[in-house]
Amino acid sequence: MKSGARSLKVSLALYVVIVMLFFTLIGWWVYFFSSKGDELAEHVELSGPLNAGQYSAIHEQLGEWASMFFFEGIFLGVLLLASVLLVLRAVRRELVLNRQQRNFLSAVTHELRSPLASAKLYLESIRQGRADGEKAERYLAHAQEDIERLEDLVEDLLTARRMTGETAEVHPETMDLSGLVLRRVERFAALHDHATVELDAPAAVMVEADPQALDRVLENLLGNALKYGGAQPRIEVGVGVDGRSGLLTVRDFGPGLQGADPQRILEPFVRGKDENVRTQPGAGLGLFIVKELVGAHRGSLRIDDTLDGGGTRVAVRVPLTPGLPRNVRPTHTWGLSDDGPPRPSAGAVGGASRETPGQAAPPGGQEQQL
Amino acid sequence: MSGERLIVVEDEAHLAEVISENLELEGWRVEVLGDGAQALERIRQDPPDLVLLDVMLPSMDGFAVCEALRGDGNQVPILFLTARSSRDDRVRGLELGGDDYLGKPFDLSELILRVGAILRRTQWFSSPSPAGDELRLGDVRIDLATLTVHKPDRTFGLSQKETMILRCLAERPGEVVSRSEIVDTVWGYDAFPTLRTVDNFIVRLRRLLEPDPKNPRYIHTVRGAGYRLTP
Repeated sequence: MKSGARSLKVSLALYVVIVMLFFTLIGWWVYFFSSKGDELAEHVELSGPLNAGQYSAIHEQLGEWASMFFFEGIFLGVLLLASVLLVLRAVRRELVLNRQQRNFLSAVTHELRSPLASAKLYLESIRQGRADGEKAERYLAHAQEDIERLEDLVEDLLTARRMTGETAEVHPETMDLSGLVLRRVERFAALHDHATVELDAPAAVMVEADPQALDRVLENLLGNALKYGGAQPRIEVGVGVDGRSGLLTVRDFGPGLQGADPQRILEPFVRGKDENVRTQPGAGLGLFIVKELVGAHRGSLRIDDTLDGGGTRVAVRVPLTPGLPRNVRPTHTWGLSDDGPPRPSAGAVGGASRETPGQAAPPGGQEQQL
Repeated sequence: MSGERLIVVEDEAHLAEVISENLELEGWRVEVLGDGAQALERIRQDPPDLVLLDVMLPSMDGFAVCEALRGDGNQVPILFLTARSSRDDRVRGLELGGDDYLGKPFDLSELILRVGAILRRTQWFSSPSPAGDELRLGDVRIDLATLTVHKPDRTFGLSQKETMILRCLAERPGEVVSRSEIVDTVWGYDAFPTLRTVDNFIVRLRRLLEPDPKNPRYIHTVRGAGYRLTP
């Protein structure tokens, strides 16, 4: 909403300036001609009527001035028209943003009301003596889950608001994408030992990005891959370089989008339609937050579920740090799985090794070019 | 009042659980479905005594389910349960033929009261009317039991709500029945955001039944009081 309001303000200011210029110019013309008229009258008074030579000189001069004024007028007129168009465009954008905000609000209310309703009914049932013993225990546990769902939702909402509200900012700095991804993937794999996570990343990919924001992006993508990747999710995470962008990919081997529109699921509160999606907790904000954060980096986001072997792959691109040598050699491949602690499964072909020492090196590396 | 069969159509597992278990505690038999299209299929196959219908559902929303059922001529009572509580949604649900509307979150006791009230109203309507099943307005004959209107030139159906309003008036011929009495009998205490919706139904009834809807001969408006039927 911020950028819309700003572009409206800028366009309006531009418009006002151009209108003022226009009036100044007209005033100048009036002044100019009247002073020339006075000059001429004075001249005639002092030295009598003009002769033929003077007459034609004045005529010529007048013609020159007229064409100069004509072109000045045309130029300002075009500017005026352009600024009117700019204002119109900004107004239209503002209207669209307003509508989006209204939809957002109505979707928020809807998402908040369902868990609120069930928590309330569970607690009322217990207070009115309609549930006791084991049933009461179950009701309390479910009410607590509802409240946790509300809590998550409020958290997501605040994040989403921060990104669309006045204080929405990312603070890009030069950072190592590979390092960030490695740390997050290790933590993630340790927390979710029923999932198999494979990481494929070169030694260092220096990008201009906000580390906290990118961490959030990765967390949301990993969370999705875990939720929608089936009973024993296998997740492939890749880091690489693509043109002038640092590339981060997260792929699961679940059922894919199942007909859901890849553009629509980036909107807030939109979730896939099938049973598998709807039974998972979540409010449909994860990918929206990813989209907003990546957008704030002037990066790009791509979702693909037409892959050999099935599943969904999300590819995020953020700007590479300019001027640094692009290290695209495959250097590390980590496999992290459920049997034991994070297990390094691949070797450093070159470059600095990280917290995880390298061992055998299976082929593979830079394969996430889209 | 017990043993009636209810279908709860709700895709939020927790809500479905707590609603259905509480309704069962009241002695009703409850079936839970989580999908709009599936629910439509099931209700068509074996209509229950009441459907509690969520609006936002996978595959087909609650309004569409209601519309499809009414389109079939299926008059199963419907109580909408929904998190969208804007006025427009309320009116839309009721004009599509819903019987009542509860916005989430709601009180447990309110839910139980409303379900009971709808079941009672349905019972009132399915019991034989003291005024008899047939109503004659000039050469128009209305069968209140089969919801059909026989005109000299054609025969057509009325909706359940239209018939209920007509029956409500016909049970007290010549007397003034207030709009809020009509709302109470046909929908329940505060189902409607405004009493004006009754007026809309009356206008429709006049168009269907009166020889000249602009100058009604049978269904009269009594200014400030309500409506009166003079057969």
